[in-house]
Amino acid sequence: MTRIALLRYPGTWSERDFEHAFSLIPDVETAILWHEDADLTGFDAAIVPGGFSYGDYLRAGAIAKLSPATRALRAFADEGKPVLGSCNGFQILCEAGLLPGALLRNAGLEYRCDWIHVRVDSDRTPWTRGLHGQVLRMPIGHGEGCFVADPDTIAELEETGRVVFRYADRTGAATLEANPNGSVGNIAGICNESGNVVGLMPHPERCVEALLGGTDGYRVLANVAKVVAGTGPALYR
Amino acid sequence: MRYVATIHVRTKPEVRDPQGEAARGALRSLGLDVSDVRVGKEIVVTFDAADQAAAKDALRLMGNELLANPVIEDFSVEFTERVPA
Repeated sequence: MTRIALLRYPGTWSERDFEHAFSLIPDVETAILWHEDADLTGFDAAIVPGGFSYGDYLRAGAIAKLSPATRALRAFADEGKPVLGSCNGFQILCEAGLLPGALLRNAGLEYRCDWIHVRVDSDRTPWTRGLHGQVLRMPIGHGEGCFVADPDTIAELEETGRVVFRYADRTGAATLEANPNGSVGNIAGICNESGNVVGLMPHPERCVEALLGGTDGYRVLANVAKVVAGTGPALYR
Repeated sequence: MRYVATIHVRTKPEVRDPQGEAARGALRSLGLDVSDVRVGKEIVVTFDAADQAAAKDALRLMGNELLANPVIEDFSVEFTERVPA
């Protein structure tokens, strides 16, 4: 049984969607942990779901960075356990320094709520192992998803295979038109140096069954369960 | 000693500020020849510190750890007033 922790900060809203998504995956159990007393002991992976933690006050994800749950998450990530942050969860991971860079207001200033495609550009993470080169269709819903970092950081991410998801068209071409928010290099998701911590703006938990309009999110979430259980592709490098 | 300080947070010059660009467009629609607009934040904090040096250290910590994100923002501090405790 793979045990996955779903962190809930004040204003988190996607934890129940993740709970439902993982309920469809065999041999996975989840628990929603309140941020003030989140104990990650005994969990195999952790999710930082989307939402508007602390009302996005100051900056999206800024206040959550100082929460006890984020401290626990840092220790958990240091152990090499898989961590995934989606949308506001990605913003929290960047603010907390678990991932480099930052997410700015969308270049067009619009809140974007849409279905988009991403190309999987790295399979060195437990979330994307075996999915390299695949084009996934997933929903987005965000006002601050424009990924930026200084040029040295971008170069390092690109050269070391740490750009995990890239906005692309349905054929997998990372075009300007396919970029919904102005992110540098069409970057939709990245990982840390060890590859166990991944952040992305799209919502894999919202596309896990045909009724929801797509199932590509299931492939990402089911992947980690297989990797943890040792039944999937070999562990990330 | 009680201190009141203003922390000014600005997007770094090399980081694009779409909010500023939108405001610039709107100001131009007023017929004004505005070439650039940057939108920032002003945060006023009231706090206690032993002396001015300790107060400065505290403000630096506030800015670096929470009020500004050093990846995309710069900040500066300014003492607004000092109220005797």
